[in-house]
Amino acid sequence: MRRGSIVQLVAIGVVCGAGAALVALLIPWLPAPASRQAGRIDFVFWFVTVICIAIFALVAAVIIYSIFKFRAGPDDDSDGPPIHGNTRLEIAWTAVPAALVTAISIVSAVVLAQNEHIPHASAASDPLKPVHVNVIAQQFAWTFKYPDFGGLTSATLKLPVDSTARLRITSLDVTHSFWVPQFGQKLDAVPGSFNTLPVTPDKLGTYPVICTELCGLGHALMRSTANVMPADKFLSWAKGQQKKLGGPAAASGKAVFANNGCAACHTLAAANAKGKVGPDLDKLPQEAQKAGKPLDQFIRESIVTPNAYIEPGFQPNIMPGSFGSLPKAQLDALVSFLAGSKK
Amino acid sequence: MTGVALHDPHAVHAEPAPPPTGFRRLLAAGWLRVPWMTALFFGIGAGIVCLVRWLEGWHPIWDGKVITTVELTAVPLGFLAAIGGFDYWMRYAAGSPTRPEDHSGHGARSWRDYFRINTDHKVIGIQYLVTTIFFFVIAGLLAMMMRAELARPGMQFVDNQLFNGLFSVHAALMIFLFVIPAFAGIGNYVIPLMIGAPDMAFPRLNALSFWLLPIAGFMMLSSFLAPGGPFAAGWTGYAPLASTHQPIGAVFFNMGVQWAGASSIMTALNFLVTIITMRAPGMSFWRMPLLVWANFTTSLLVVIATPFIAGSQFFVMFDHVMHTNFFNYQNGGYPLGYQHIFWFYSHPAVYIMMLPGFGIASEVISVMARKPIFGYRLMALSLMAILVLGFSVWAHHMFVAGMAPWLRVPMMVTSMVIAVPTGIKVFSWLATLWEGRIHFDTPMLFALGFVSMFVIGGLSGIYLAAVPIDIHVSDTYFVVAHIHYVLFGGSLFTIFAGIYFWFPKMTGRMYDERLGKLHFWLTFIGFNLTFFPMHWLGIQGMPRRVADYVPRFADLNLFISLASFGLGASTLVFLYNMIKSWRFGPAAEANPWRSLTLEWQVSSPPPIFNFDEIPQVVGNPYEYGVEGARHAVFNGDRVGTLEEVPTR
Repeated sequence: MRRGSIVQLVAIGVVCGAGAALVALLIPWLPAPASRQAGRIDFVFWFVTVICIAIFALVAAVIIYSIFKFRAGPDDDSDGPPIHGNTRLEIAWTAVPAALVTAISIVSAVVLAQNEHIPHASAASDPLKPVHVNVIAQQFAWTFKYPDFGGLTSATLKLPVDSTARLRITSLDVTHSFWVPQFGQKLDAVPGSFNTLPVTPDKLGTYPVICTELCGLGHALMRSTANVMPADKFLSWAKGQQKKLGGPAAASGKAVFANNGCAACHTLAAANAKGKVGPDLDKLPQEAQKAGKPLDQFIRESIVTPNAYIEPGFQPNIMPGSFGSLPKAQLDALVSFLAGSKK
Repeated sequence: MTGVALHDPHAVHAEPAPPPTGFRRLLAAGWLRVPWMTALFFGIGAGIVCLVRWLEGWHPIWDGKVITTVELTAVPLGFLAAIGGFDYWMRYAAGSPTRPEDHSGHGARSWRDYFRINTDHKVIGIQYLVTTIFFFVIAGLLAMMMRAELARPGMQFVDNQLFNGLFSVHAALMIFLFVIPAFAGIGNYVIPLMIGAPDMAFPRLNALSFWLLPIAGFMMLSSFLAPGGPFAAGWTGYAPLASTHQPIGAVFFNMGVQWAGASSIMTALNFLVTIITMRAPGMSFWRMPLLVWANFTTSLLVVIATPFIAGSQFFVMFDHVMHTNFFNYQNGGYPLGYQHIFWFYSHPAVYIMMLPGFGIASEVISVMARKPIFGYRLMALSLMAILVLGFSVWAHHMFVAGMAPWLRVPMMVTSMVIAVPTGIKVFSWLATLWEGRIHFDTPMLFALGFVSMFVIGGLSGIYLAAVPIDIHVSDTYFVVAHIHYVLFGGSLFTIFAGIYFWFPKMTGRMYDERLGKLHFWLTFIGFNLTFFPMHWLGIQGMPRRVADYVPRFADLNLFISLASFGLGASTLVFLYNMIKSWRFGPAAEANPWRSLTLEWQVSSPPPIFNFDEIPQVVGNPYEYGVEGARHAVFNGDRVGTLEEVPTR
């Protein structure tokens, strides 16, 4: 190989590498990280990207160089030199990639271990180290429970900033997956098991919670929000909510509606809900009439055994049957809230 | 002399027995037997169900769900029996005299012969390719409908059930009815020729395995007509969504996979036996072309792995129809068990969909660069390495599935290691190009397009293998981008390369080179515009398998949809070229690419039993540029006096 061709090849490689690097740098690829885990994931991402750009530049350079240099003329029916192999070269392109992927594996394994680490509570009294949250997925809603705050339930995820949250994720029906892109952390919600996912938010703000595992017809709409707030605000929110739920049953119907994620699928003006997966709850009286049942009884039956009556235009087995297991007080409150919103 | 059956060339031209007349035509194997025989089998299936339910006292006695499930086995069996798929074996089993092979099943005299049971591997190869391209077009149209819906956020054209059905059937058809069987089709046509054999080892089994395919394809398609809608749990069909939350259409997928899988296994067995026992004299394993090596390893993968997906789909179907509890956690089932079994097939399936493409790329690049393939032995050995490693990486699809956390790092390491043999292949192709005399005919364009796109797909695979990154991007559009770079940029480009490369051999006519190049560039550009932006969507937070998405992704999705329509339209150029050239193209020479491998040493299309003389293989298949090198000589040549070309 002549010196001139090496220079040309390297030049093409540098141009390709620079082009790829510009694509990597000029486009904002990663969402702004909002957790320590996401920050570390970003590091792995850039580590892999540097290696990939190098490999890409090498391959692209050889292909482009070959296309222009080794093009056969239209009447050229000669053969190339009979090179069958080169053992040193073959050893090199076995060993170098092996070393590179080993490096990536080590970096990934270290970051994984750091991301999975949950600090032990320094004092049992401090509920923020870590924050325990039970994440319950069902078609097509998220529920977040805080066992350290009297079983407080919320339809949106609230987390204090700079504390590690220990999410215990499960599902009531099919497999879902919990993801907050800015947190970088994701884990499936599998029925029958509790999977643990640590998240340490480090930036205040509101982020989307997305279901990423196909879970049925409302999959695309199975969204919620994650709210990262200062620790004192989080504590006062938690105390305020505890008070509300402990309050009179009638007032809590709206909270039950909100906390169980009904709004993900249903429209209800009184709760400012705009879901379109299930029937419009602003039309409950007409639907009860069609079903030929008194309003209260119809509402209760539709929650406990959803398949008993299916509104035309909708399909059975979409509404989860699991709401039947709500505590009786909450169920009563929900029914009277729904019925009351129409009176 | 390894086993090459000698055929009396005079027997070949014997006319088949005169066709039956009158009502006997209804009894002879063929399409006239199909209506009454499928009806008969339908009756038998329904009768068994009703009888069992009546005896057991289950009500209702006529249960649509159970009947449908049973009929998805009974009716296809009736159809296969009707067209004559089992005739020979039935006669043999019944003890009646079997018809001696009169070779009337060989060759195609008119287009009608492509619509019957035919035992000629060349006819079967074309049957495979035409059928798979048919399903490729259908599955592509489904993707177009999907992209139309995704052009704007919110719901416009389809409802959720239909949308989920669209991507489920799109993937199922592309995988089970296009990529896997298209490679089987190319292999079917080319491999016996390449190894110097007159046909496959089991021609009747070969015919049967083809006819299972349309059954599987139409079964999956017909789920759109099933009450409740198509199966909508994705091609991965994760339980319990697929087992207890799906309409009856899901069973069409479960059973479609069984028929396609059975077809795959039979073909793979046939390839294995053919390659092991029917190589021409002198064709040692280390003289086999790399396409044969690739199909050998692929067939091993198919035979070992496919029973796992068969099992997983049966379990899901039993949960669905018979109320078993394999994956039903309330009764002790294990939802993650499904994913483990499924991916234990479906990761090797990625290599089933990739290795034959590696083989095609090796053939095309070596011939068109006019150089020996670089590092032939390492190329073959890296195929074997991928075969073995391919079984040790399945759980990298499950890094976020909630499986045992310790399993992730070992699975990451094996997944990373598999990049090494894959890298060897890529670097060897590049080294083959080096200092070659490269001819940029359409097959070469597709082969080089494959190498460059597959590199991008492989590199995004490194991201996905690294657990922390995978945790962020799994189940997002990043994965959609990755699999399309691997399966479209990888598999589909090599399928196109193979079709163009062997088109003159298969049809005896030359395709239109200008249209071929146009097809390549439209596909190459449309492909990148469609799929590259999906990486960004995924990293930023767009999950896969959604019909609706947040408005900030709207503009890019509109762009992708428009690009995908262009990509879809590029297929029209391909179809037009194929149909026009097959009918009116100029006659092809026997060896338009000046290749050394055996399939090019016979006429285009080849004689009915491939070789009028038994080839004697005397050297390696890629000795371009070696003075006086021969891969094979025919009996007329001076066998034995020619010095064998030393392997490097």
